[in-house]
Amino acid sequence: MGVALDITRGETLIGKRVPKMDAPEKASGKTRYIHDINLPGQLHAKILHAGVVHARIVSIDTSAARALPGVHAVITAADVPWQRPIGVAKDHLPLKTDRVRSPRDEIAAVAADSAEIAEAALNLIKVVYDPLPIVSSAEDALQPGAPLLHGEELAWTSPDGRREVLHAPSLDNVAMTFNYAQGDVTYGEAESDAVVEDVFWLHYVTHCCMGVSGVIAEFEANENLRLYSNTQVPFLHKREFAELLGIDPGRVRIIQPPIGGGFGSKLDIYPFEPIAIFLAKITRRPIKLVFTREEEFMASPTRQPVLLRLRSGCKRDGTLTFRTIDTLHDNGAYTSWGATTPFVMMQTFSSLYRVPHCQYRTRAVYTNNPYAGSFRGYGNLQATFAVEAHMDKLADAIGMDPLAFRFKNAQEPGEVTPQGMLFKSCGFKDCLETAALRSDYSRKHAEYRAKWHDGNPVKRGVGMASMLHVAGGAKIYPSDGCGTILKIDDFAHVTLITGASEIGQGSETVLAQLVCEELALPLSAVTVVNNDTDITPWDVGVHASRTTFIAGNSAIGAARKAKAKILAAASAKFELPVDRLELRAGHIVEKDSGNRFIEIGKLIRSLHFSDKAELVMTTHYYEPPSQHQDREFKGDVSAAYAWATQVVEVEVDTMTGIVRLLRVTGAHDVGRVLNRLGIEGQIEGGIVMGQGYATTEDLIVENGVVRNPSFRDYKLVTAPEIPEIDISFIETMDGEGPQGAKGVGEAPAICVAAAVANAIYNATGVRLYALPFTPENVYRALKQQARPPVWRVAP
Amino acid sequence: MSATIDIRFRLNGVDTEVSVPATMSALEMLRDRLDLTGTKYACGEGECGACTISVDGVTVNSCLMFAADCDGRELMTIEGLAASSVGEALRASFTRNGAVQCGFCTPGIMMQAHSVLQKHGSCEPADLKRTIEGNLCRCTGYVKIIDSMAEACVAADEGA
Amino acid sequence: MSDINNYVAPRSLDEAAEALRAGNVTLLAGGTDLMPQSRSGRTPLRPTLVNIRRIPELRGLSESGGTIRIGPLATITELRDSALVRERLQALWQACDSFASDQVRNAATIGGNICNASPAGDTLVPLLVLDAQVELASKPNGALAKRALPLADFVLGPGQTARASTELLSGIVVASSPEDFISSFFKFGTRPALDISMISIGFAARRAGKTLRDVRVAFGAVAPRPIRAPATEAALEGKALDDNVIGAAAKAADAEIHPISDVRASDWYRREMVRNMFTRMLTHVRDH
Repeated sequence: MGVALDITRGETLIGKRVPKMDAPEKASGKTRYIHDINLPGQLHAKILHAGVVHARIVSIDTSAARALPGVHAVITAADVPWQRPIGVAKDHLPLKTDRVRSPRDEIAAVAADSAEIAEAALNLIKVVYDPLPIVSSAEDALQPGAPLLHGEELAWTSPDGRREVLHAPSLDNVAMTFNYAQGDVTYGEAESDAVVEDVFWLHYVTHCCMGVSGVIAEFEANENLRLYSNTQVPFLHKREFAELLGIDPGRVRIIQPPIGGGFGSKLDIYPFEPIAIFLAKITRRPIKLVFTREEEFMASPTRQPVLLRLRSGCKRDGTLTFRTIDTLHDNGAYTSWGATTPFVMMQTFSSLYRVPHCQYRTRAVYTNNPYAGSFRGYGNLQATFAVEAHMDKLADAIGMDPLAFRFKNAQEPGEVTPQGMLFKSCGFKDCLETAALRSDYSRKHAEYRAKWHDGNPVKRGVGMASMLHVAGGAKIYPSDGCGTILKIDDFAHVTLITGASEIGQGSETVLAQLVCEELALPLSAVTVVNNDTDITPWDVGVHASRTTFIAGNSAIGAARKAKAKILAAASAKFELPVDRLELRAGHIVEKDSGNRFIEIGKLIRSLHFSDKAELVMTTHYYEPPSQHQDREFKGDVSAAYAWATQVVEVEVDTMTGIVRLLRVTGAHDVGRVLNRLGIEGQIEGGIVMGQGYATTEDLIVENGVVRNPSFRDYKLVTAPEIPEIDISFIETMDGEGPQGAKGVGEAPAICVAAAVANAIYNATGVRLYALPFTPENVYRALKQQARPPVWRVAP
Repeated sequence: MSATIDIRFRLNGVDTEVSVPATMSALEMLRDRLDLTGTKYACGEGECGACTISVDGVTVNSCLMFAADCDGRELMTIEGLAASSVGEALRASFTRNGAVQCGFCTPGIMMQAHSVLQKHGSCEPADLKRTIEGNLCRCTGYVKIIDSMAEACVAADEGA
Repeated sequence: MSDINNYVAPRSLDEAAEALRAGNVTLLAGGTDLMPQSRSGRTPLRPTLVNIRRIPELRGLSESGGTIRIGPLATITELRDSALVRERLQALWQACDSFASDQVRNAATIGGNICNASPAGDTLVPLLVLDAQVELASKPNGALAKRALPLADFVLGPGQTARASTELLSGIVVASSPEDFISSFFKFGTRPALDISMISIGFAARRAGKTLRDVRVAFGAVAPRPIRAPATEAALEGKALDDNVIGAAAKAADAEIHPISDVRASDWYRREMVRNMFTRMLTHVRDH
């Protein structure tokens, strides 16, 4: 049931089931997503994707397309000589000049009266390509003599002739490397009683936001850019778009309509956005560009596929000794945030469990494949998959109960890890205990294992996995903060203006709740404004599970300032010390007796219309007390860390390879539950997304080409497939968190695949090292027909 | 250019006349011609249910329907459902039970849920799950959608 | 998508056949296959689009004189909701139950599913084991004429049928099954529906005590079209099911199928699934 709280009684909203503020509008079909917005005079744009995988562009003939009635502009790179490279490594021009590196590459774009005309015009563009050899895997990319994908320098020449090299020529196909070490793994291995080593393959998946990508670009008469965008990082993009246009960032305004799903997919700029801007600039008309679903599959980012070699050891008593990790990331043709996921992966290797010696080496490598972006969990699903497989295998090797083995090595509050992370609050052991207890893990684990050879073709198994993830921001930019402006009007209506964007996760409602808690006002008294960079204060974006924590603390800060102002005024008016006053149920009351002095609105009016002529408006900027990591990746990067354990029970049909998830038991250290309804929704959704990653989703990429760009063949989990879900909240009341809460957005998706792998082993005695666990892949493994991943990586 | 066809139908209880190209889908007609943008495009090939509407009392994917085939029929979209008392009850249930996150799939699921209620079938979660097997949701994991439907289903049964 | 110059929605079979005489026609029924196929360019639309959905003669489902007649415009939902189908044509009912989704079942017609002639077409496999006949109507000489042929001879290959461009499917006829008749359909998938068959199996027989008579077996998605499997049928005909007979039938089936590898499954896996699931189906028949 939702809230039916009686605000006049001064009940708290914290921990209650508070319905999302935007739900009624969305459930009425009234919410206008970017797809539903049309500006007067707008043109529709479409992009010509190369279709070829790797080639030189010999010629582009757009004459027939330009001549088509209804077409207003056709552009290629030649029409925008001032375009600048975009993305994390600035290795990517929105419109390609002389070379195609991926079938999704943008060759030309059309603006026309309708999307149909634009589409028809695309078919009239003639491009001649000269094919180049294809680099179809990261291993191939490292072979001596492999074609270099970014062997040329990428320079930019400003309109005034200034030349700037933005991407230096690469001497090999390595886009990015991360190396981290703690202790001495040689020493660690020498003192080990058991050592295991395996190679894992983590596959391609993609976000599948229900709302396809889209943007509307418009130039105001004064040449200021107004962009309707679904970005998750509006303030970072303001700067990037300004750079792209060579204008002051103050002249870029980003308006964010409600978004049809994010999940990390919108943390980077993608070529379609600059292209819409170019067309708007050239046509002087608003340009609307919306993808088809097929385009969405081919031309939006993926989770980064990883080949991973892990070597781990422990002592006979169950103490972990060392881990050596080598990973190879398929970066794809260009560099986006996917390349930086090792940053998160190393935290799991080094610090989920106490391990004294750890060495981690990774390379992200250019190929002709789709390029990898950020996706909920940010590398952690991949890292956790490998780590938790080894937790089971090591426990097995020393004959120890897998739960006891984990418990022995689990982190505790107060721990400072060798990587420098400080776990001020840590409910890991509670998570392990709770999930094991509620799932009856130990009994089932022993029982199912005893039935491997009982002749029944349908098996059951349980598997456990845990995770550690940042939950108080992640200081990777100069600022990890968020600003709030809070206005209380003469009727005690609060306008909460926050830098943090709502992407469906419910941040709007949580922020409103936190403010109501301070000001003792009902939720209906709050309007949240969070969608316009000309209005909202700075925020670094929706990522790293940071919004509740960072924007929450910022909102609380502003609300407390407003409260102090109101109480100070009441103190003067009623001639009582401030500490004897309190806000309760919309009134200023005497703290001890509860006697009501005045309604909050009435007091605010009196301030406004008195000789003070004062409005209650406050601002607050919250910067978390976290550190930038040093060059060795050491430092307390987040103000808080989240923990979770999930136990998955599966049924494996050994005659088909079908793995059904029967039950997921999750115990999550969330600091504190702020909105029970919202947090359950985040966790359930994350678990089912993890289920898809584990069992059904597979973006099939062959020689650079996405073979299944549709929901017909890229299978999202549907309603009849979902498991029973049991969630427990471990409330550790984080000292820095807003009302004790920690971030939870990414956490629930992280452990599922790892737990499913362990459950399949528990059911069948067969361990799978490669995702996804589609029926055929599982069946092959059961029949010893699978080719397990191997490490054939050039040093 | 394709032939244009003049069609008439009832849309959310209102007689509607419109000229449509023969190749146009009902989804495009609703969104682009009639500005009923509550019905969503998400795949265009009947795999996701975001464009679900009701035609002559049964739900269909409007992306798979030729607009011309609407001629003479009775259509209801999310806008029509939302304006009805049963739609209001369903919306309240979806809101109260947390069935909405990004909300993009929600109108299609609301339409499907309404059709399920009209049939007065089973209110068991396992059966309700199958009734929305044609609706994809990427945010919620479906749990709260099923909760909402079960609650509305039981309420409708009690009210009937 | 190609252009349409002419759109007609005939009100009778006669009118529809007349419209087809002119040639260059695309037929529209439920639209659930035609719309995506025409948009992707797989089935370019011809200049005339004939919407046959308003023809009453093409609707309905009835039983008389030992046969069940299904109107090609019967939607998958209508068949799934029909007690007649559920009780008498179990294999077809099972196929309808695992067909796409509610929204698609509500629009898709059985005639469309047949004429689409997909190797994985859900209703084709059960109709094959039910020995269905299809009836085609046309107006060759100004008068409505009909011909009937077995479904097995109608579906020729992926998207290809024996329907002439001037003909339309006007009925599907299945013999009313005797009391001792059993039929079943299995579709391989990870979910109840919304899945394209990786393989599918249809089985039908009369059961005389433990002995099977008049055995019919069909497979979907393992050849260019759904196929009957005569050697497999022969391996079962007149036999009582035991492990040896089931093993021999599975072996015979393996020799009759020609699966390919695609994004949905490898040929090896399809073969394995035909063997395992056919074995499981027959074991179920034996034990129940």
